[in-house]
Amino acid sequence: MVSVVDYVPYILEGVLWTLGLVGGGLLIGFIVGLPSAIAQVYGHRFLKIMVEVYAWFFRSVPLLVLLFLFYWGIFPALGFKLDPLTCSILVLGIRSGAYQSQIFRGAITSVGEGQYIAARTLGMSKMRAIYHIVLPQALRISIPGWANEYAIILKDSAICFTLGVMEILTRTRYVVMATLEPLIPYFIAGALFIVLTYSGTKILNTIYDKLKIPGLIWRM
Amino acid sequence: MEDVESMVEDEIVLKVEDLYKSYNNVIVLKGISFEVRRGETKIICGPSGSGKSTLLRCINLLTKPDKGMIWLEGEELTTRSININKVRQKIGFVFQEFNLFNHLTALRNVSIGLEVVKKMKREEAYKRAMEVLRKVGLEEHAHKYPAELSGGQKQRVAIARALAMNPSIILYDEPTSALDPQLIGEVLEVMKALAREKVTSIVVTHEMGFAQSVGDEMLFMYDGKIIERGPPEEVIHNPKTEIAKKFFERIQELYGREKR
Ligand SMILES: Nc1ncnc2c1ncn2[C@@H]1O[C@H](COP(=O)(O)OP(=O)(O)O)[C@@H](O)[C@H]1O
Ligand SMILES: [Mg+2]
Repeated sequence: MVSVVDYVPYILEGVLWTLGLVGGGLLIGFIVGLPSAIAQVYGHRFLKIMVEVYAWFFRSVPLLVLLFLFYWGIFPALGFKLDPLTCSILVLGIRSGAYQSQIFRGAITSVGEGQYIAARTLGMSKMRAIYHIVLPQALRISIPGWANEYAIILKDSAICFTLGVMEILTRTRYVVMATLEPLIPYFIAGALFIVLTYSGTKILNTIYDKLKIPGLIWRM
Repeated sequence: MEDVESMVEDEIVLKVEDLYKSYNNVIVLKGISFEVRRGETKIICGPSGSGKSTLLRCINLLTKPDKGMIWLEGEELTTRSININKVRQKIGFVFQEFNLFNHLTALRNVSIGLEVVKKMKREEAYKRAMEVLRKVGLEEHAHKYPAELSGGQKQRVAIARALAMNPSIILYDEPTSALDPQLIGEVLEVMKALAREKVTSIVVTHEMGFAQSVGDEMLFMYDGKIIERGPPEEVIHNPKTEIAKKFFERIQELYGREKR
C-alpha cells in the first residue's frame, strides 16, 4: 500500500518544473512581447502588420494545437530535435509574447503621446525617448496585466503534460496510475496551483505598489 | 561695445519663408513668412484652427512643411539632410498641456535632457537643473513629482525644462490656456522675466496684457495666413481687418476684466 507521504515529495518536485515552464515562458514572452509592442506603436507599417499577424495567429490557435504543431511538426521539419521541456517553454513563451505585446501596447498607449513628443522636442531620438520616458512608465502600468498573464500561463503550463514534461500534472497522473487513487493526488495538484497563483500575483502586486509614482493615479 | 551689442541684437535667429502645410488636402498654412531677431519676443494670436500650432510644429520639425523654408541661426532646417535631434536641442518647446515626465521629479524632468541629450554628468546636470528651477521659483519643489504640483507649477517646470537646454529660441504654444485663472499669473510672470532677459521666443497666446508688456511684435493669424502684424498695442487696439477687430473684442469679453 502506497501512502500519501510517499508521493507528496514526488509531486512537489513538479513545482520546480512548472516554475521553469512559467518563468521561461514569461521571460521569452517578455523578450518577444515588448519589442513587438514598441513596433506596433512606433514602428513602420510593415512592422506593425507583421506583429499583428504574429499576435493574431498565436492568440487564435489553441495551446494544445501549438504544442503539437511545434513539437511534432515545425521543429522537426526545421531539423531541431528539442526535448519536451525546451519545446514547451518556447511555445509557451512565443504564445505569451503575443498576449504580452497587447499588455505592453495598452500600457504604452496609456502613457500618452504628449510625453513622447516632449522628449523628442528636447532632442532625444526615438529610441531614447522610448527608453527613458515611455518604458519606465509603461512597464509599471503593465504589472497588473502581467500578473494576470502569470496566472494564465501558470494554469496553461499544465497542458505540457501532453508532451510528458515532468511538471505538476504529469507527476500527479503517474501517481494516480500507480495508486489507482485519484482524489487526493489531484486535490494536491489543484492546491499547488492555487498556492502558486496566489503567491505569484501577491508578489507582483506588492512590486506594483512599491513602484507607484507619488500622487499619480493611473487611468486604466 | 554698444555696436557689438546692437549687432548681436539684430541677428536673425529664426527665419520662416513662404511656409505651406496641408493635412489631407486641407491647406492649414498658406504662405507664412516672418523673422525673429535675437532677444525678441514674438507674439502670435488668432482664432482656433488658424494654424498657430501647426506653424510651431513645423519650426520644431515635428511635422514637415509642404513648401517653404525655415532657417535657424543661418542653418536651413527644411533640407533632407538635417539632423532633427541636433536642431531640436536648440529649440525649446512649451506645450499647452505641460507634458511633464510623470515618473520623474521636477529636478529630473529638467535634468534628463541635459543627461541624455547633452551628455552632462549627473551632478553637473542636477546643478544646472536646480539653477533653472530657482529661476522659475520652484527650488523647494525640486523633489516633487508632477502629480504633486499645481498646474502653474507644472508649467513652470516645463519652462525650466526647455530653458535648461539653453536653446536659441523657445516656442510656447498657448502655455496658459490649460490653467485655472488664478494660476495663470505665476506662469506669465516667469515668461515676462525671461522676455526681459532677452530670451528669444515665439509665444502663441491670448493673454493681451502679456503681449503688450513684453511682446516686440504681434502676428495675427487667420485661416493659415498672417493677416496683421505690428507692435502688439497697434494690432490689438487698431486692427486693420474686421476679423482681427472681432477677435480682439471677443478676447476682451472673455478675459478682459482681469488685468495681467
Ligand atoms: N495632425 C493633423 N491632422 C489633420 N489635421 C490637422 C492636424 N493638425 C492640425 N490639423 C488641422 O489644421 C488646422 C489648424 O490647426 P492648428 O494648427 O492646431 O490651429 P491652432 O493652433 O491655430 O488652433 C485645423 O483645422 C486642424 O483641424
Ligand atoms: Mg493650437
